[in-house]
Amino acid sequence: MSPKPVLAVDDFGFAYRQGRAWLEILHRVSFAIAPSEVLGLVGESGCGKSSIAYSLLGYRRANGATQSGTISLDGADLLALDRPALDRLRGRVVAMVPQNPATALNPARRVGAQVREVLTRHGMIRSRPEADRRCAELFSLVGLPEPGTIGRRYPHQLSGGQQQRVCIAMALAGEPKLLVLDEPTTGLDVTTQKQIVYLLRRLVATSDMAMLYVTHDLALLAQIADRVGVMYAGHLVEIGPTNEVLIRPAHPYTRGLLAALPDIRTGAQPMTELKGLLRRQDIPVGCPLYPRCPIAVPSCADNPQPLRPIATAHEVACQEYKGATATQAAMPQRSIPPARPTVTDTSPLVELRNLQLGYGAAVGLHRLLRSTPIQVIRQIDLVLNRGEVFALVGESGSGKSTIARSLAGLLAPLSGTIVFEGKPLPRSISRRTPDLRRRIQYIFQNPDESLNPRQTIFKILAQPLIRFFGRSGGALAPEIEQALRDVNLDPDYARRYPGQLSGGERQRVAIARALIAKPDLLICDEVLSALDVSVQASVLELLRDLQRRRGLALLFISHDLAVVRSLADRVGVLFKGELVTCDATEAVFRPPFHPYTQRLLDAVPDLHAAERRAAG
Amino acid sequence: MSNRDLGSIARGIAGHWHGAPGSYRVGAIIMLLHFLLGLFGPLLAPYGYAAMGTSLPMEGFSWRHVLGTDALGRDVLSRVMYGAPTVLTLAFSGTALGFAIGTSLGLLCGYLQNWFDELVQRLCEALISIPFLVLALMAISAVGPELAGKPILIVLVVALVYAPRTARLARSAALEIVTRDFVTAAKLRGDPAWRVAWQELLPNATGPLFVEFSLRAGYAPVLVGALGFLGFGLHPPTPEWGLMISENRSLMFVAPLSVLGPGAFLASLVVGLNLFTEGLARMLGRSDVVVRA
Repeated sequence: MSPKPVLAVDDFGFAYRQGRAWLEILHRVSFAIAPSEVLGLVGESGCGKSSIAYSLLGYRRANGATQSGTISLDGADLLALDRPALDRLRGRVVAMVPQNPATALNPARRVGAQVREVLTRHGMIRSRPEADRRCAELFSLVGLPEPGTIGRRYPHQLSGGQQQRVCIAMALAGEPKLLVLDEPTTGLDVTTQKQIVYLLRRLVATSDMAMLYVTHDLALLAQIADRVGVMYAGHLVEIGPTNEVLIRPAHPYTRGLLAALPDIRTGAQPMTELKGLLRRQDIPVGCPLYPRCPIAVPSCADNPQPLRPIATAHEVACQEYKGATATQAAMPQRSIPPARPTVTDTSPLVELRNLQLGYGAAVGLHRLLRSTPIQVIRQIDLVLNRGEVFALVGESGSGKSTIARSLAGLLAPLSGTIVFEGKPLPRSISRRTPDLRRRIQYIFQNPDESLNPRQTIFKILAQPLIRFFGRSGGALAPEIEQALRDVNLDPDYARRYPGQLSGGERQRVAIARALIAKPDLLICDEVLSALDVSVQASVLELLRDLQRRRGLALLFISHDLAVVRSLADRVGVLFKGELVTCDATEAVFRPPFHPYTQRLLDAVPDLHAAERRAAG
Repeated sequence: MSNRDLGSIARGIAGHWHGAPGSYRVGAIIMLLHFLLGLFGPLLAPYGYAAMGTSLPMEGFSWRHVLGTDALGRDVLSRVMYGAPTVLTLAFSGTALGFAIGTSLGLLCGYLQNWFDELVQRLCEALISIPFLVLALMAISAVGPELAGKPILIVLVVALVYAPRTARLARSAALEIVTRDFVTAAKLRGDPAWRVAWQELLPNATGPLFVEFSLRAGYAPVLVGALGFLGFGLHPPTPEWGLMISENRSLMFVAPLSVLGPGAFLASLVVGLNLFTEGLARMLGRSDVVVRA
């Protein structure tokens, strides 16, 4: 590491005011970044990683306050700077690439003008032609096509990946010494994500700019970061070279995170090593992980755990880490899933025959206007058997969700039929019988959206019982309690509102709502993507368990190949509205691959990439 | 309910009060005073509302007649106090009826988005395009003489004026809510439209609807007063404030208090409601309404 770091965060503590109390967001965090170094910060939602990112820009919300420590950026004491000094610093010394380029770019202005603004603001250009030339340079640097003219476009005329490249160009415009990236690829497809990561790696290699890369995706960091810091509940619990941390994790939390990742190469099951969930009010004065830690001893709760070096540049905030690493040489061995129990009845449950789907089909009086629908699914034939897990994978826009919506009856097909148990299924939900509606249940991507925030969990779960089984009054409570127990939730939750539950718990409620209807087919539309990694693993376990016990057929829609491999019996790969492969999971994930499957697989970040990079 | 419950409720209200914007607090106090006036006014009034010759006609301020007397020698303050419950009841029940109709229609339209929606929207637009006083007068003349001057007619007219405006607001609120997945879940379950509107949409639209309600309720006394002023409201000798201003307007320069008195009461009610609404909107806009279990 070079002697003079670009950034030195020392003992930094930060809190938000909640009513009259202060909620600690960051607890005595210390780290440094050297020029042309990439530090990855990883952690789950609410761990404080984004708060660090914003603090480095000298930004804090009105209700936040620094509790301790200093941040020194390029020699300046960031926390002591006034507004004009910060304005000079932002963009020139530190710049940020936001999480969602679609909301970060002004939709009403041409992208070129937005980049030029950075240049003029910092007085880096004298004339318009110079500005245009500099913009074109920046656009070609970030690999945008037609760099000379693309600046004339508006954000909506660019793809998500291109928008993010524009944001990166904006960040680079001021030639900053530190680039802060807050989940820059979270909203993008895996293949686009791979291209952006390539771009960032090239940028670091060819300049002495340093990066702080904030993400929840450990495997992604393996591809880009030199060092990785792991955050938990506002504490930095482990920091070290990427290889060290990912291959020989020492902190129980890092180990838990890694174990929760399904492995696409082997199809190994993810495991949940950590108990329960992060609850800020349960955190003791000592180790923040104490209530959830598998190797905790009583003294952990009382002794604060500072970072202690355990190897070269590898530091861990855990007094018991030896106990964890000694018992298992490296990472715990994971079970490869056993062959599935054979389901007795595997007759086809649903058949999609010659199905064509699209949006904008004329209905009612608009038929007179003869609009041409936009076709999303050109033609698809698909069979789902009873009791099997069928996964549909593909990038966004490939039509996965469209198929699910038509199956649920939310979108009438343009042509073709859906056959359910040998009988054609009515096209729209309003024509289906209550029994048909009950037997096909749908779980949505985001539980924040799929549960009515103004209804108690009891009321949410009572709806299907009232509608499908005609239950009422006293008959509801026992069934709702049982349904909550089935998804491993405390029956007391019935009295709560969705806002009082965590993301994972809410998704469990959504699953309970689907299961309480006793369906034959469960449509899971990206049900894991809104959840944290360790929560994903436990929800996945729950789904798998319930599916086996009840012999449900599952249509599992996902863009995450690793999850699909660990769960599905059969996989269909969608590309631009066509099914390019459809086979048993083992066959799909075994060479020879279909070219498109190969592309998807290549794009999946691999935990061992750093190892290979170091070796090669 | 135990004392502890009462204590915690009191603390909750105190906390609510403490954090509220100033305009909300001032508005709430003015409204509370009007409410008390509405409840106890008729009991406390020194004279009857139709008692003539309590003093010389057109008398100005005196301690016996704080707001003076009108042309018939009736005590203006007593008439104002007797009129308070009438004005408040008419304004609030008219607004409430208009809201009930408008909200149900608007939420249904926002959910259905079909021919019914088209029909209701065009109808609402037609009604909104007519100035509200003109619409009110048209409705009154269309109903005919049987109902003329009856309180129920005033309530219906206020409702007719407010329902289309509320429907549009409720519909636009519903349009945002129906894109959320819990509405889709209800649709997949096969819930009928009215049930979706009632159970899924309404609880999530209370914020903007509540603000709109108090805003409209603030204009309602003006509307009722205007009808009274024009002679299409309640019949004399009912002490309705707008009617009083109308009756006494010729005395404006002889006994100004007989006009300004009821005018000041009407104005303070409207200002109070508007301040309350403004503060309420700021509170609701500041943070989404927290659900307390």
